[in-house]
Amino acid sequence: MQPRRPPPPAPGSGPWGPRPAAPLIALLLLLASVVATAVSESAEDPGQPQDAGLQRRLLQQAARAALHFFNFRAGSPSALRVLAQVQKGRAWINPKEGCKVDVVFSTERYNPESLLQEGEGHLGKCSARVFFKNQKPRPAINVTCTRLIEKKKRQQEDYLLYKQMKQLKNPLEIVSIPDNHGHIDPSLRPIWDLAFLGSSYVMWEMTTQFSRYYLAQLTSVRQWKTNDDTIDFDYTVLLHELSTQEIIPCRIHLVWYPGKPLKVKYHCQGLQTPEEASGTEEGSAVAPTELSNF
Amino acid sequence: MQGIPGGGTCPGPSPMDRRMLLTFSFILAVALGQMNFTGDQVLRVLARDEKQLSLLRDLEGLKPQKVDFWRGPARPSLPVDMRAPFSELKDIKAYLESHGLAYSIMIKDIQVLLDEEREAMAKSCRRERSTSSFSYSTYHNLEEIYSWIDNFVMEHSDIVSKIQIGNSFENRPILVLKFSTGGSQHPAIWIDTGIHSREWITHATGIWTANKIVSDYGKDPILTDILKAMDIFIELVTNPDGFAFTHSMNRLWRKNKSIRPGTFCIGVDLNRNWKSGFGGNGSNSNPCSETYHGPFPQSEPEVAAIVKFITAHGNFKALISIHSYSQMLMYPYGRSLEPVSNQRELYNLAKDAVKALYEVHGTEYIFGSISTTLYVASGITVDWAYDSGIKYAFSFELRDTGHYGFLLPATQIIPTAQETWMAIRTVMEHTLTHPY
Repeated sequence: MQPRRPPPPAPGSGPWGPRPAAPLIALLLLLASVVATAVSESAEDPGQPQDAGLQRRLLQQAARAALHFFNFRAGSPSALRVLAQVQKGRAWINPKEGCKVDVVFSTERYNPESLLQEGEGHLGKCSARVFFKNQKPRPAINVTCTRLIEKKKRQQEDYLLYKQMKQLKNPLEIVSIPDNHGHIDPSLRPIWDLAFLGSSYVMWEMTTQFSRYYLAQLTSVRQWKTNDDTIDFDYTVLLHELSTQEIIPCRIHLVWYPGKPLKVKYHCQGLQTPEEASGTEEGSAVAPTELSNF
Repeated sequence: MQGIPGGGTCPGPSPMDRRMLLTFSFILAVALGQMNFTGDQVLRVLARDEKQLSLLRDLEGLKPQKVDFWRGPARPSLPVDMRAPFSELKDIKAYLESHGLAYSIMIKDIQVLLDEEREAMAKSCRRERSTSSFSYSTYHNLEEIYSWIDNFVMEHSDIVSKIQIGNSFENRPILVLKFSTGGSQHPAIWIDTGIHSREWITHATGIWTANKIVSDYGKDPILTDILKAMDIFIELVTNPDGFAFTHSMNRLWRKNKSIRPGTFCIGVDLNRNWKSGFGGNGSNSNPCSETYHGPFPQSEPEVAAIVKFITAHGNFKALISIHSYSQMLMYPYGRSLEPVSNQRELYNLAKDAVKALYEVHGTEYIFGSISTTLYVASGITVDWAYDSGIKYAFSFELRDTGHYGFLLPATQIIPTAQETWMAIRTVMEHTLTHPY
């Protein structure tokens, strides 16, 4: 399935409909103007399915992209966040350029086990401006989040994770994480967290206003010895893209040391055409801006 | 409680004492021509010294048929176990007491124990031939599920039967469970799970649900009313070839396994192969795509079998197709943004169902039409069902929202099934109370 097209589905050039005659440009600009939306997670009133649905989805896409980027830039496998709820936002749709979204959302700590306990109360809050360039990857992102974990605690947990990784026996004989029944052995959790961190970079780059990615499984892991004390490993992940339902294998190579910027190189396999994505990035040297109250 | 997969020898490690007892008893039973041991007891005596030991040995000599030693008098420190027949109990105990021999009753009634042991042995032999030890909280393979189906039908043959509605591409049977309290061609409800093979939580939920139905029939007044008036059909493994493949080779396989000349990619997305908006934007004409719709509507045997069955039946009133993941409850259409004629009713029903689901474990679902809630999808099951006149057509996307995705841990099977059941029940109840 092609990525979901925005309504209205009209024939003509470009994904946004036919080129309007000059007198109608003003009208169209009006239509494409700012629409402020207060969004909750419940369904939209069926009286206006199209607009509200599109708005909700765009805000969610933006929040997800922002979070992938935030996680990558924070470079901390023990401080990963996931989307809890989109709270409010607005989207500007410019047919020529793309889609600009301001969004405010709440986050939770990424800790699969804590999902089983509801209402843990570890909610953070983020505000982001996301710019999706007409279905091109690598959305431009400006994001700030409230502090979820105390900095010192985060550093401690990162260092603990680092030590656990260093103590793993090589070569790692791992078939997949999680296993086919969804189980992650506690001793392998650090590998998973670090892989999720590295994958965040990939998922940020690949997210568009229509496509969204999830990390489905690690299928191979290899840790390299290093001359310095960094963690250096290669792994293969399977990403699941929701709108096409495709499973995308990506080889990822990452180098990490607690507190230092994350270095990621990756290469993902394309579908039928050799449309492949690859990239290299060093994490920003600037620590993520944290607001003490929001 | 872990289940033991079908097949294999009778397991059953009994504690050592019991096995010894059993052996003794059976040997005895054989030797004595299958006597009855009702009321017989086993006494344990602790002799303090050699003198007491010899008294015990006398006991055996005095009345040859009165006691037999299971653990004979050896040394003062070791306990002596003796079987005392019911008729001699009083005398033997009097003898022991008069000589100051301390004893305790190890087994109050041998026959009772023998009976229990015999049953336990038989049960463990039956283990793979009954559903009582099938674990609802782990994932199973195709063989285990089909074996469970046979046991399940046998154990609940009063209201459950098995129907084979066709064969898959690789020639596996396609099975449907029918829940019915009788009558002919009652209005019916259809539930399918596993149309996408990697969505393991759906098969697991379906199995639990089937068991829930038979358990609650006669106890839950709403379910009982539903089953009195309507039949329920559940197809647990809607894509058996794909499912087998997720166990053998590729855990994340989605489509079926059909092969066509001219392409080296395998499989059709069974949820794009239906005759409703077939081939539209919400599907893909590339055979290598995960949403490949196939060469023509109903080209796939797995889909054709259902179409044939439901059409021939002619009296289906609701259809529920279960997928994962995303935590959504949706109604048609998927193929376009056009609302269905009873959209308001379906919206409200979905809202109620989601609320009932939420009340179980606090799991949050969103709801709405497929195209506005999830994405545009063409040639899907519920669109076809709706266009065929089934007014209450719903599609579930079960847990979770992306943390584990398809690889949902088995620990979440039962909670997921429990909450989903409340939503399904809500839909079924509405169907019952709104006949058409």
